[in-house]
Amino acid sequence: MTKRKMKIFGMAMTGVLALSLSACGGGGTTNNAAGGSGSDPAASGGDSASGEKVTITFQNIYPDASDPKNKMMKKIVDQYQKDNPNVTIELDSLNTDQQKLKLKTQAASKEVPDITVVNPAAQMQPFVDADLFAPLNDMVEENGLKDTFQSGILDYYTFDNNLYALPDGNNIGVVYYNKKLMQEGGVEVPTTFEEMVAAVKTLKEKGIQPMVIGEKDSWTGSFLFMNILLRTNGGPGFLQEVLDGKKTFEDPAYVEAITAFQQLVDAGAFQDGATSFDYNAGENLFKTGTAAMYFMGSWATGGIETAEVSKDGNVGVFQFPTVGGKGNPDEFMLAPGSAFAISKDSKHLEETKDFLNYFMLNFPKEAFDVKGAVGIAQNVDGDFKAAGYSEMAMNVLDLFKKVKGGDLAFDNTMNPATTQVHLSGTQSLFVEKKDPAAVAKELQAAYEENK
Amino acid sequence: MNVLKVSRWTIAAFILPCLIVYVGLVFVPILVSLYSGLLDWNGIGQSTFIGLENYVKMFTRDAVFWPAVRRTFTLAGFSMLVQVPVALTVAILITRFVRRPNFLVSSYFLPVILSVAIIGQLWKTIYNPASMGGMINQILTSVGLESWTHSWLTEPKIAIYAIILVSLWQYLGYHILIQFTGIQNIPSEIYEAAKIDGADGFKADRYITLPMVLPILKISIVLSFIGSLQSFDLIMVMTGGGPAHATEVLASHMYNMSFLTMQYGYGSAIANVLIVMCLVATVLINLLFTRMEKRYS
Amino acid sequence: MSQYASSAGSKPALKVRTRRFSIKSLIAFALFGLLLLTQLYPLVWLLIYSLKTNEEILSGSFFSLPAQWQWSNYQGAIEGGNYLRYLGNSLFVTVTTMAGVIFLSSLAAFAIARFRWKYGQIVMLLFLLGMMIPMQGTLLPLMIIFKNIHILNTHLALILPYMAFQMPIAVFILSGFLRSIPHEIEESAIMDGAGAFRIFRSVILPVSIPPMMTVCILTFINVWNEYILAATFISSEQLKTLPFGVYSFVSQYSVNYGAIGAFLVLAALPVIVVYFLLAEKITKGMVAGAVKG
Repeated sequence: MTKRKMKIFGMAMTGVLALSLSACGGGGTTNNAAGGSGSDPAASGGDSASGEKVTITFQNIYPDASDPKNKMMKKIVDQYQKDNPNVTIELDSLNTDQQKLKLKTQAASKEVPDITVVNPAAQMQPFVDADLFAPLNDMVEENGLKDTFQSGILDYYTFDNNLYALPDGNNIGVVYYNKKLMQEGGVEVPTTFEEMVAAVKTLKEKGIQPMVIGEKDSWTGSFLFMNILLRTNGGPGFLQEVLDGKKTFEDPAYVEAITAFQQLVDAGAFQDGATSFDYNAGENLFKTGTAAMYFMGSWATGGIETAEVSKDGNVGVFQFPTVGGKGNPDEFMLAPGSAFAISKDSKHLEETKDFLNYFMLNFPKEAFDVKGAVGIAQNVDGDFKAAGYSEMAMNVLDLFKKVKGGDLAFDNTMNPATTQVHLSGTQSLFVEKKDPAAVAKELQAAYEENK
Repeated sequence: MNVLKVSRWTIAAFILPCLIVYVGLVFVPILVSLYSGLLDWNGIGQSTFIGLENYVKMFTRDAVFWPAVRRTFTLAGFSMLVQVPVALTVAILITRFVRRPNFLVSSYFLPVILSVAIIGQLWKTIYNPASMGGMINQILTSVGLESWTHSWLTEPKIAIYAIILVSLWQYLGYHILIQFTGIQNIPSEIYEAAKIDGADGFKADRYITLPMVLPILKISIVLSFIGSLQSFDLIMVMTGGGPAHATEVLASHMYNMSFLTMQYGYGSAIANVLIVMCLVATVLINLLFTRMEKRYS
Repeated sequence: MSQYASSAGSKPALKVRTRRFSIKSLIAFALFGLLLLTQLYPLVWLLIYSLKTNEEILSGSFFSLPAQWQWSNYQGAIEGGNYLRYLGNSLFVTVTTMAGVIFLSSLAAFAIARFRWKYGQIVMLLFLLGMMIPMQGTLLPLMIIFKNIHILNTHLALILPYMAFQMPIAVFILSGFLRSIPHEIEESAIMDGAGAFRIFRSVILPVSIPPMMTVCILTFINVWNEYILAATFISSEQLKTLPFGVYSFVSQYSVNYGAIGAFLVLAALPVIVVYFLLAEKITKGMVAGAVKG
């Protein structure tokens, strides 16, 4: 194998896989429109000609057998193993928290599995800095995989012109609303933040829970807060400007965002004891029809559309409105998803790349089939409506088309230590009255300490 | 004085297998952790040696640290001063009144066996706001004490006590079991002798059971103290340390720092402080009990 | 005064004393009943929980029963959670750990408690120190050690640290017990010309069963639900243990609570059965000899 590997380095960027793995050279039917006929097994670049037994460890965060993503993953893996009998894919399926912990521990001892899962931008920076991942620049060109991705999405996983990971999702922040409850409360879909606060008050008076949030997992509140900041700042890039030293957290835009956020809390928008609800418990309140509005990433679409509340097209979505007349609703909170990276020290680097290439090529079509294609990172050509996607899902897809830029979540831009202070600062707004300027000052101090 | 005189080789054969596994897998990691506590290291990339800077930061600039220490000791205090005495009382009562105590003692032990994930979920349904069907608040409302209702897990001043209560409840059976077996092992001849001298019932407990059970009580207290200092899973399940660190204890703070915010060096420093606290406390408890034992005997 | 005699032989005297009904006993039994209710209720609650839908669970009423009993949760737990394979692995890891802890710790405890040598107390202190150490703090160093001795992703990577972390308490309990045994017991054996190993096997081991049961139970409880080390050191599906099953129902943006409940019932069942079977032995053995410190 090593001799063969040595040869590879001398070869041209494209076609490496097909040449190195296959003596008969039968691989590589390019298949851009994976949404159409992407299951074509020939999309796999390699075949079994090399014959050597290879085991690839595939660490992933799809552990639940009843989750469509898990079924989809197993299906693609099975198909690949059938086409390449010498390759065994070993699935190490973990829940998200545990996978993060495991990967960090593995990274510390340079024992990264062949394929693992990382988060975009700032969150994967330390792993890239420690030189743990293999560049995928050549691999993504294979079989036209690169063109299946939405334009620009791969930038979040690219460092110094090297692409290190391929994302499974790309989502935006939206507000889901319960049409029936909004009607009962006599409020319209708000077009400004001020209307939103007013609607909250009206709903509250009528005994309807205006909004819900699972704030025990403090990123939820932060995600909403960052959308307000995206407006008060008049556009994206606030955190980047802080990083560049052009602004501080004591900037009026940030303080104003805290003030606005507090207005929402003070108006009684969120349920009692919000900080003890985890993500699922919070979302469940909306799914069971007890709350009028719910701000969340579009990944929640699948869960909401199959819930009781969505019967008869009862759930709609709207864009987060302007705040104080500032900002553009077509700028969204952007949430590029978790992504698959390959260990640089993988014993079977070529086979692993070949498998991941195959996996990602087939991903959109399989996701489409299990109705999980809203918010994936790749283009899907299929007819959503004909495939039975709900009206709400179609509305979410329409919002995607409106996207004209936006901001990433706080933890995807800032270092973990500063993020922690921001998260607990935002969480504290739920339980006590705080001076916005003091909260901002505290964060600025933490940022400087951990720069 | 021990009577068995054996060769060095025999001693080695008995001690070494155990000692090697223990030292290699518990002790060496702690030495590594002592060293990591001197580093500025995110756990993955390059590390920088910064001497005692982590400790300076912890003691002077970390706004979470001291409140977390206070809460940790509050938990330990409640555990030692409420849980253990209650357990001892129950154990004495069981020995006194129950003829087939095994079922009772075993049942009390049950919450220790159940996963913390379930314990946390259960208590959340107890603490929830009345609108969510929370038991306490519903009861308070139905007896007209609406003003007493609270958002038990999210009001910063109350939340930690709500969690402490769960912890006391969960491990009560553990300490009952320990005390109970301790009492069982007190030789019956002593009570019979005392009875002849006219000491019976609670008088016997005061003058015989208590002094005789002191060593076990010590174990119970040490275990409860160390257990409290290290406990964090219940907090992670119930509040995640929030709202805004209001329920953060040392062990959860350490976990957050080491693994969530990627300040592994700093997290190790916290772990080391935790170990030293356990050590000091154990020595102090031992001293205290040696004195008490001397006084009684 | 012989602790040995009391713990192994004579009946505790306390309970025979009182049999009359009095106000005192009424109050006591009311207390017992109340405690029984609060301590056993979680089990009942878990059973009900395991038969509910996600929405019912998250709506979180304290007393509510499921509208429809969701037996399918159990089916999901057994199939989706790989129950049988994980159960087998958990049994293997736990039993091996228990056997290892018992064997090695009793050897060491014997040496500490009964040999005439200078460093017994120091070794004991060293072990005591281990009780103070939080397991999650050793995760990273252990990873590096296991990598270098090439046992990552094997059951050994779980059994070894589990054993190591149980040893302090095991040595503590066992040596406490052994210290309470009168010296005459091995003096006669020495007269017969028995060596240390024979004394250990034929004299000490037989009388140490009760404290060993205690060690077994403590080990079992700590190992059976352990997840952080397991998730970090084990990657292969064939090697995973029960807690993996529990957490396999937790996805990034959804949790299958009913299946978790069902799986927890299935996972706790062996523990509870074993525990109640051994309860008699435990209550005798728990910290048995340590009365003497």
